[in-house]
Amino acid sequence: MSTTTAAERFELRAMARELAHRELAPRAPGLDRGDPGVLDGCWSRIVEVGLDRALLSEQHGGVQLSVLDLLATIEELAVGDGGIAMCVLLCNAALATLPDEQLADVPEGARWALVPAAPGTELTISDGQIDGHLACALAAHGADGLVFLLDGPAPAAWAVGAGAPGCRLERDVAQLGLRAAPAASLELAGVHCAPAPGGSRAHSGGVGVASVPALLRAGTAAIAHGVARRAHEMALEYAHARQQGGVAIIEHDAVSDMLSAMAVRLACWPQVAADAPTSPDGTHPEGHTQRAHGRQALAVKIAATDAAVASTTDAVQVFGGTGYMVETGIEKLMRDAKYCQLFPEPNWVAHDELMRSERAGRAGAEDR
Amino acid sequence: MTSIAAERSLHEQFPRLVPGGGSVDVRELERLRARARRFAEVHVRPRALEIDRRTGEDPSWFDWELVRAGAEQGMLSFLIPKPAGGAGGLATQAAVVMEELCAACPGIALIFGAHALGISPLLLGGPSQWDGVLAELVASERSDKPLLMACAITEPDAGTDVEDPELLARARITSHARRVPGGFRLSGTKRFISNGSVARWITLLMATDPRRPAETWTCFLLDARSEGFAVSRVEHKMGQRACPAAELTFDEVFVPDERVVGREGDGAAATMIVLACSRPPVGAIATGIARGAYERVLGWLEEDRAARGLLGRQHVQLALASMEEEIHLARQLYMDAATELDHTALGGVLSHPSVRALGHVPASIRGRASVRRLLSSDRARDATVALLHRTTSERAVTRSLALSSMAKARGGDVAMRVTGAALELVGLRAGPVRAELEKLWRDAKLTQIYEGTNQLNRLEVYRGLCHRETIGCLPPLHPIHLDTDRRAPTNGDVRAHLDAADTPTHTHTSANGDGGRS
Repeated sequence: MSTTTAAERFELRAMARELAHRELAPRAPGLDRGDPGVLDGCWSRIVEVGLDRALLSEQHGGVQLSVLDLLATIEELAVGDGGIAMCVLLCNAALATLPDEQLADVPEGARWALVPAAPGTELTISDGQIDGHLACALAAHGADGLVFLLDGPAPAAWAVGAGAPGCRLERDVAQLGLRAAPAASLELAGVHCAPAPGGSRAHSGGVGVASVPALLRAGTAAIAHGVARRAHEMALEYAHARQQGGVAIIEHDAVSDMLSAMAVRLACWPQVAADAPTSPDGTHPEGHTQRAHGRQALAVKIAATDAAVASTTDAVQVFGGTGYMVETGIEKLMRDAKYCQLFPEPNWVAHDELMRSERAGRAGAEDR
Repeated sequence: MTSIAAERSLHEQFPRLVPGGGSVDVRELERLRARARRFAEVHVRPRALEIDRRTGEDPSWFDWELVRAGAEQGMLSFLIPKPAGGAGGLATQAAVVMEELCAACPGIALIFGAHALGISPLLLGGPSQWDGVLAELVASERSDKPLLMACAITEPDAGTDVEDPELLARARITSHARRVPGGFRLSGTKRFISNGSVARWITLLMATDPRRPAETWTCFLLDARSEGFAVSRVEHKMGQRACPAAELTFDEVFVPDERVVGREGDGAAATMIVLACSRPPVGAIATGIARGAYERVLGWLEEDRAARGLLGRQHVQLALASMEEEIHLARQLYMDAATELDHTALGGVLSHPSVRALGHVPASIRGRASVRRLLSSDRARDATVALLHRTTSERAVTRSLALSSMAKARGGDVAMRVTGAALELVGLRAGPVRAELEKLWRDAKLTQIYEGTNQLNRLEVYRGLCHRETIGCLPPLHPIHLDTDRRAPTNGDVRAHLDAADTPTHTHTSANGDGGRS
């Protein structure tokens, strides 16, 4: 596991911030249009700095970041573009579940995606073959490989190479947000798949499958927070520049109240993030159990994504009619935040799971 | 799957609406609603996603076929006075139509809504407008080349400012209508104008003296074929894409005197009345969006295999109940605002015996040059304003504006909440219904912004209801002389005119500075 120093962590965040500011934010409109050339260009930059396999060890071409550092990095990337940040999260989550021998075959720069699914209803696996269909699998379109995560009491992951016989992918044209993580509708009929290792830890730098759902939720929370930060920055800048009634609109209570509410939501993030699961590799902070860990991730995801939806919606409101126009880039943040609220599951389902886990924890022995 | 609105008649829901009642006859309203619903089901909903996709790729793309289909159902003339050949509706009719169309597609509905908005300043122009453009619109509706209207108020540097007389006084107005012999020359830019790129006629507001916009704000009727007029761009919007939002540029465009709507300088008051008329329909647009989302999610829950079992969950039941509750309240608000406006604020003008009597004069006689000159004379314009003062009061219009603002603001919030909650219920994995809900969610956001942001509207509620102010929202009884050679009129002059007016109103309290508007 990583032993990143505070200085290294600071440097890493600064590097991600720079990348977001210089490379991603200016290309956000192209990414939002779903331009594959722009996505490829941005992904190349991600690969150059090693963030595509950040959790993996050097042996596997990674930089072996801790989960906490990965989340911080993803948050910074999301300030530039939430969709790219989601690609980074899903690629890391997918690769981290692969066994050593399969990882060795993954070419440098490949973009994989982890696809969470409901076992039984969406996908079924039997005798090493996977069947079913899924709508809106984020980052799956154009990915080099997919890892299906069948979430549930005993999560399992199964890897499939792109272009595997029986696997049909179609671009989800209705995708509303995080469009740089191009979603696909999947039809799978007897697709051969390889099991990704279960247990607590696949390999050095790997993530136990049981902990991947928590990683996805915490990562989605980090992306939502990055998107909300960007919305606040843009709204603040506009509110100083735009005049109505002879004064800058920030002078109007109706506007400053919204900006203040955004700032308050952002200020709560360190507290929320402090509860994020920081080691979903099977080892938990003292006193924590797998179940408690999962609950924290759910709570963090709900809090951060609800806050992001509220803040980005307010940000568009601050911009008024201008904010409703695509060219300003602020409405995109609202769409991105909404998708964070819906991934990997809608927040009402996350609430439900949180309480189910709470009840099970109290009734059963799992938490002891 | 429909909400309670579909199961109960309008009279059951809104007892104020009665058969044969004044400006709103509930039997005619039911027929209009049925026509709008049929049009929405047959023509609007089946095309909504495809049009959204096409206009997402090319914002200037426009579906004239759909306009023709709407014209066949009278969707372009329900607001036009009966003497001009229309259905003679007002805010209530516009609102009822908008809810029905928006439950299917708010973008397509906005084409007809923006057309109605373009017409509404002409209604204030009185009988002088009946036999010109309004009659032409009715005739075009019956042809295969229907004409559309638009209303242009917003400028690049002034959005909210131009929707409030107090802010207008300090607004950064860059457009200018310069007086020349026989009319005006218009210069400048108008922005975010719905239907702006497809309208044949545009009602627009400009200052005849940009240094004194509030006092010289004037309404003009512009022929979109005029020399010097251009559509400089069509915006790429987040939602409601079927209706193009255009930037319009005016390069010394000539508008003759007879196309000044109302009197020079009456534009600020006219804007307030137009907003009082247009905000209940915006509340209805928002209610329709929320209803559309609710009906879709309910249909999905009842019929889609992927949703099996979900209806048994209390969370889902509570969410649906809350949606129904909010939609019901939003509808009550917009109908209350619309009927208030039609019954007490403006309905009296259009049903006044003198106006009705003019309506009985055959169009062939009204169309004679001498009669038209008389109807568009300064004296006739003064008489129209005097009639407004006799049939309503500034307090009544202020209260109506506040109720309209309440309906608009609450409706917009309901639309956002319901579409967001519906999208959350179905999640990312649902099939075609997800695309429809995502579109409605994008569409909903605009209802919190246009016709004044929700914040501005809530400040109108404060002024009109909480603080019981009376806003100067009727044109002054006697015209203010605005000749550039004369001393610029001051606010004091305007108030003096208002105070001197022999009307039922009469206290003009200027808005105080508590709380800005945005």
